Amino acid sequence: MIVNNYSTTYDFQGNISAHNFAGGCYPYVTSSTPAAITVPANSHTGNGQELAYKNFRDQFTGSLYPTTNWTVQLSPTTSQVRAWNHVSIAPGGVIASNVKWASSQFQMYFAGTSTPEPSFSGLIGESPDPCTGATGYISTPYGDAEWFNITTGNVDYSYLQIY
Amino acid sequence: MKKLFLSAAFAALTLVSCNNEGSAVNTVETMKTPQMENFDKAFKSLGDPQNRPTEEERKRNTSELSERRKALLVPASKELILSTGVTEAELTRKTGGDMSQIIVWATQIYMQKSDEIRKNIKSDK
Repeated sequence: MIVNNYSTTYDFQGNISAHNFAGGCYPYVTSSTPAAITVPANSHTGNGQELAYKNFRDQFTGSLYPTTNWTVQLSPTTSQVRAWNHVSIAPGGVIASNVKWASSQFQMYFAGTSTPEPSFSGLIGESPDPCTGATGYISTPYGDAEWFNITTGNVDYSYLQIY
Repeated sequence: MKKLFLSAAFAALTLVSCNNEGSAVNTVETMKTPQMENFDKAFKSLGDPQNRPTEEERKRNTSELSERRKALLVPASKELILSTGVTEAELTRKTGGDMSQIIVWATQIYMQKSDEIRKNIKSDK
């Protein structure tokens, strides 16, 4: 999962979710600490400041924007908060192997402030996706956000790019 | 006037380089290969007005990047793969010319190289 925030005006703040796509929507895993991951304005692969998550665990030590806790739902009624290094969400485990990156609920803020740009926000992600109802492209007068995948037989990269 | 501008620009550059002394050589940004930089630029170019998804592309029933936009990533991807010593023939044989396979392969090389750069920076400190 890569987030490239090419906007030079706005910081990105949001969460990132992954879920099962093979029937039903569970497991459903959402970043929950911090409540909003902040990817500052002008943070992208071009300057090495992108958000890059390989999996729920290694992102904590390997990314610039570590998520400490993930909320894991195994059904609509069971929800647990798991630390990044909890064995249940480790790479290769049942949960990690059965979900893929799916969406982000986000809000853009003027860089370095807590002033939001109200209409530059939304739920972006895989689309169509009945589990989230996310849209794949959000266009506003202030900038655009898009989610896309590049997929081969065994690899699936998800990108969230803000322009 | 031009001269004045140039000398001002040079002075500014000198200031910037002094400010960054010690850190300038040690950032992921400055240690990237030209092929990695071009790979970055290709992804950024997806946001150029003419490269954004068309209405039709947005209405497709998938989030997979469209073929038209994948094609924008292929030249830089190939360049990055070839820069590791892989030959054109190998590239064609391994990917069958499939754009997704070329981009994914290049991405794996890119991530590996970035990790190496980050490790080198850490061990320098």
